[in-house]
Amino acid sequence: MNKLIQWMRRLEGWFGLATAIFLAVGLYMSLISSPPDYYQGEIVRIMYVHVPFAQTSLLSYLVLFIGSIWYLWKKDSVIDNLSHATAGIGVFFTAGELVTGSIWGKPAWNTWWSWDARMTSALVLLLILVAYLMLRVFMDDRDKEARYAAILAIVGFIDLPIVYFSVEWWRTLHQPLSVSQRGLAISQEILIPLIVMTIGFYLLFTYMVMVRTRMLYLGHLLEAKKGRFLSQAHL
Amino acid sequence: MIFFKVIRWIVWKDLLSEIRSRENISSMFFFALIVILIFSFSLSMDQEIAAEIIPGILWIAFSFTGIIGLGKSFLVETQNDCMENLLMAPIPKGAVYIGKLLGNFLFMFIVEIILFPLFIIFFNLDILGQIPMIMLICFLGTLGLSAMGTLLSAMTVQIKAREVMFPLMLLPLVVPVIIGAVEATKGALNGDPLKLYQQWLQLLTVFDIVFLIVSYWLFEFILED
Repeated sequence: MNKLIQWMRRLEGWFGLATAIFLAVGLYMSLISSPPDYYQGEIVRIMYVHVPFAQTSLLSYLVLFIGSIWYLWKKDSVIDNLSHATAGIGVFFTAGELVTGSIWGKPAWNTWWSWDARMTSALVLLLILVAYLMLRVFMDDRDKEARYAAILAIVGFIDLPIVYFSVEWWRTLHQPLSVSQRGLAISQEILIPLIVMTIGFYLLFTYMVMVRTRMLYLGHLLEAKKGRFLSQAHL
Repeated sequence: MIFFKVIRWIVWKDLLSEIRSRENISSMFFFALIVILIFSFSLSMDQEIAAEIIPGILWIAFSFTGIIGLGKSFLVETQNDCMENLLMAPIPKGAVYIGKLLGNFLFMFIVEIILFPLFIIFFNLDILGQIPMIMLICFLGTLGLSAMGTLLSAMTVQIKAREVMFPLMLLPLVVPVIIGAVEATKGALNGDPLKLYQQWLQLLTVFDIVFLIVSYWLFEFILED
């Protein structure tokens, strides 16, 4: 069995445990022990999940990008399983970021949605990730599937900063982030739960990637054993 | 040099087969025309509103045209095992990309040039003085669309759900081109001084350069087998 997979199987449980502890402590701190914000009142609490969602979605795309380059370079099919897993989990975190952002936006800016650079690029990122997953569904040939998906991920990653700047120029009137930055910068009572939650989300992400990668790997292994396709790395 | 020879031959081959069949150009042209007509029927506008939304309509028509043309671009290569021959031929793969890109670019650009006078007539535009600038914007925007489209077209020809997957992958990725081209066209149509929309031309240029380089490099992985 592959070394990376073995290593994941051994560490999986520990990561799951650490995730549970960090999220439990983080949720207690952010929902109960921390005070409401001076400007925003109770609605500031959604930031404790929104910001970690946003940071984890960026992390997942970074992992996907590095995994894709690595795959094109080394042609290691376990890395392809890892990228595939990361993309699916990225959809979850990006969608969470957009939904929680919207819920926060309604009371804070009095609108569910605005076309500012961060929101638009998160939405484009979500669309690219969904396209990536669909591309993988529609391909028959495993090697080609992995290669094409990696190409799409790399192109998409390079596109995102350009999307960001184009939208920022396009909608320069908007200036939303000052509110959250002020919320982040001032008080330790807000900063500490946020850090705990972010670490919790990073751990959750790692745990999910480990489980999902192993699932995809085992699925491919099973297919290989059934003789439906023969892949060197999986046998 | 073999590199430029390959480019020349691929462009020549595509142009020749297009001149003989006229399949792509005519379908692209009529499709774009219909998009524009649908928009002018569904939105009743006065002059002021028109100036705001015409650039958007124009680029929606152009990008849909691109989807029709670019999506088909590698389809001809799948007939008679042309793709396999391209794979096996001892030629630089990047040259195949550039050749295909130039062919696609030319088709789209020709369609846009034919379409533009009709557009001026339908929407009663008075913009004869801005034509060189609009040509430049069309050139940059079309180059960006076809740089990305050629890469994705080569990927999607071998997929089952080709017609769905191609626009699904292309449109999110060309968001900057569409925003940039629409804003620049708006500036040019209004007759604004260049300074006001110069940054959009810069954005288009940056996008074109980045994507030409990245796609050129990644194309080798598509044709590899």
